[in-house]
Amino acid sequence: MRRLLLPLAVSMGMLWLAGCAPRAAYPPPPPPDSQDAAESGPSDDQSAEPSPTSDASAEPAPTLTEVSGPAVVALLDSSEQLARAGNPDRAAAAAERALDVEPRNPFVYQRLAALYLDQGQPEQAEAFARKSNSLAGRNPPLRAANWRLIAEARRALGDTVGADAALSRADYFAGQSL
Amino acid sequence: MAVAALYTVYLDVQVRGRFEGARWTLPAKVYADPVELYIGQEATPASVVSDLARQGYRRDQDIDAAGTFRAGGSSVDLHTRAFDFWDGHQPDRRLRLAFGGGRIQSLTALDDGDDPALMRLDPMLIGSIYPSGKGEDRILVKLGEVPPMLPAGLIMVEDRNFMDHFGVSPKAILRAAVANLRAGGVVQGGSTITQQLVKNFYLTNQQTLVRKAKEAMMAILLDAHYDKEAILEAYLNEVYLGQEGGRAIHGFGLASYFYFAKPVEELQAHEIALLVAMVKGPSYYDPRRHPDRAESRRNLVLDIFEESGFLDSEAAVAARGRPLGVTDAGNRGTSQYPAFIDLVRRQLKGQYKDEDLTEEGLRIFTTLDPDVQSAAHEQVANGLEALERSQGVDGGELQAAAVVTSVEGGRILALVGGRQSRGAGFNRALDAQRPIGSLAKPAVYLTALDRPRQYHLLTPLDDRPLRVELANGDIWEPANYDNQSHGAAVPLYEALTKSYNVATARLAVDLGLPSVVDTLKALGYPGDPIPVPALALGAVEMSPMEVAQIYNTLAAGGYYTPLLAIRAVTTRQGEPLNRYPLQLRRAFDEQSVYLLNWILQRVPREGTARSAYLTLPDRLQVAGKTGTTNELRDSWFAGYGGDRVGVVWVGRDDNQPTRFSGATGALQLWSRMMRDIEPTSFKPARPEGIQTLPVRLSASDDRRPVGRDCDQAVQVPFMAGFVPEGLVPCDAPVAPDAEPADDRDSNWFLDLFR
Repeated sequence: MRRLLLPLAVSMGMLWLAGCAPRAAYPPPPPPDSQDAAESGPSDDQSAEPSPTSDASAEPAPTLTEVSGPAVVALLDSSEQLARAGNPDRAAAAAERALDVEPRNPFVYQRLAALYLDQGQPEQAEAFARKSNSLAGRNPPLRAANWRLIAEARRALGDTVGADAALSRADYFAGQSL
Repeated sequence: MAVAALYTVYLDVQVRGRFEGARWTLPAKVYADPVELYIGQEATPASVVSDLARQGYRRDQDIDAAGTFRAGGSSVDLHTRAFDFWDGHQPDRRLRLAFGGGRIQSLTALDDGDDPALMRLDPMLIGSIYPSGKGEDRILVKLGEVPPMLPAGLIMVEDRNFMDHFGVSPKAILRAAVANLRAGGVVQGGSTITQQLVKNFYLTNQQTLVRKAKEAMMAILLDAHYDKEAILEAYLNEVYLGQEGGRAIHGFGLASYFYFAKPVEELQAHEIALLVAMVKGPSYYDPRRHPDRAESRRNLVLDIFEESGFLDSEAAVAARGRPLGVTDAGNRGTSQYPAFIDLVRRQLKGQYKDEDLTEEGLRIFTTLDPDVQSAAHEQVANGLEALERSQGVDGGELQAAAVVTSVEGGRILALVGGRQSRGAGFNRALDAQRPIGSLAKPAVYLTALDRPRQYHLLTPLDDRPLRVELANGDIWEPANYDNQSHGAAVPLYEALTKSYNVATARLAVDLGLPSVVDTLKALGYPGDPIPVPALALGAVEMSPMEVAQIYNTLAAGGYYTPLLAIRAVTTRQGEPLNRYPLQLRRAFDEQSVYLLNWILQRVPREGTARSAYLTLPDRLQVAGKTGTTNELRDSWFAGYGGDRVGVVWVGRDDNQPTRFSGATGALQLWSRMMRDIEPTSFKPARPEGIQTLPVRLSASDDRRPVGRDCDQAVQVPFMAGFVPEGLVPCDAPVAPDAEPADDRDSNWFLDLFR
């Protein structure tokens, strides 16, 4: 009986809640002050903080330059140039430096995932791509790209089933992308 | 005659061998993490000026030379030093930093280059790796690179005829002999610079006539073979200029850092004069211990500089009026970071031979953050003393250790091995293996939350007395800290926030102790603890560093990254030898860790670590766990903000009881340390597959009347698809028997369906 009632109870609860927004949700929101106002600066990791996944607003997903400060953009740029010039180690060093500047920027983790894949370290590539996803928030294109990296990594490891699963995740997020 | 000739040949071989071979062994140089300057970085003119001052940058209106700056109200102009980093050469630059809103707003080139997006200051030299016991340390300089006043001044003060004599100076010997005869003892040496070099290079420190003769002969041979410049350059690098414990400071290159925290090229007249003055007796004229003596001899040297025409009288007067300008002892590196340098040494061991580290002049780029280190050190030293006073404990018995890491990247930012700041000593941060008490509990709860079919945050746990028969037949009966039972249905999250032992032990037994061991290992614990029920309550010994590794994984959302103290090693010339790349392992599902972190954030808000917020600002979100072991032998706190993990241990070396629990001891130091290092708030990204429901939670000691609306509701996260049955928003979900609710507050919503 209760099993059947649960969805009903929850959904009715939701209706009931619609007219009753919780005012004392935990954790309490920080009081607005200058420090927090300043935290919305361009390079703060909060700006890379995803909006909750439940947020179904259909805004276009933020791009690298929208969520990153100029230092990170410059470092990732130089990381790509170094990689193209055949210097993967310094390319990774540049990306890691970007991580020191913005430790929770999912684009930086994605860059490192790609570098590890190029360097023949698929396990690391998958770990970094998943870390990127864990910080991606509502950003279907970013997630799609990460799942494609994961698929490649798994294929490199001989895990074709896992690779296919990753690809279908990639397709799912690609389908959500605007 | 033949014997004399043969002996001369023998001496000649000796002289040339040393002078032409590898002349010096060069200890590896250890650098702190460089200060990064970039748009958007949190900084003020004052904070940047303090960074610059610490690294010996000099105020100067025209910033023509590297290592200078000028500060305005909302901007700082600086001329950075060129430096060979592990990822390449960074040339010196002239830049303007503009500030606003507590951040750097722009970096503008004042030279011909482009505006950089970011820029590193040259890193602070924090120490050297020299052989244990006794070691010479130096940084080589070239004659052409040092300020000309230095070699010229040395000649004027130490050996006026240096450019003309043939290695020894009969005139000087005669003058000294007369002076000594008059005084009836040795008051003056007639040694030339060449002889001093020979003495340092080849001979022991005995004062015998034979040795004197040998010294003179070798000096003549040296002078015959090599030009004056080569001899002078060798002298600049060899001369003894100070001592720090077992480490002998040789040469002007290192002395410049040791006393002024900057390269020798940047020394000013009064600083050059002080170093030249110290040649006569580095310990007698030690500017830190004997500033008056040092100053009067420095001014004497400045007089000689003026007479010799190196300085005009105006400049000489100004220089004599300058303070000594040596950095204070607390700021001079090495001795301040013994525990960290010890860690660096250990991480390099196995990859490099001892000789490579102590002889080849390698450059080691570490992750140490001097500001964080100084905050951690401050709390372990002075905070511990305050703690002792507050409890009326006799000073000195208590010890502490601390580790601070960066969360993402697992960088070790600070390491404090004990309250004594000097000397290596016992490195408790690495070597004190202590039971971790309740710090082990999160591993139990993570094991549970990783099984969403069975456990969620509100699962009722049984806290009633527990008896477990162990494999050896013993009976194990854990008790709660307050010796109370909290009933048969404590919500899971509450059992951890309040650190209930019995509920946790029963949970661990239900989960199976081998699973808890697996969790500890996945989080990064390298040991192999015995899977006994007491493990759930912390019957496993760890060092603060090992605890930091585990909690770093939790803070990083379940991603394990090996803690690192070193970024890269290069040769003396800056060629990369080794880089320590960032590595990740996904240790747990993000969702499970997210749920656990939801609990650990409540610990400082309403659980055992409430007193943290007496010190920390209310808006700062932190998470963590207290730990206390039997009879208060160990007091632990491990916790984190968004970008800093801190672990503090307090206890005694003899393992006797203290008067401190985790909350009254380690937590107090941790809170003050975190207040000082200002971490960001811990706001984990909500993973996919987590949904939240507003639920009214009432802690059992919370008897406030609860309204029918959602005033007291809390957003509780659940794994999607595993939201518990019967859960109604804004209602107390579990443990109805622990919740005496009156009619008004009864579960009216669920009643509709009964």
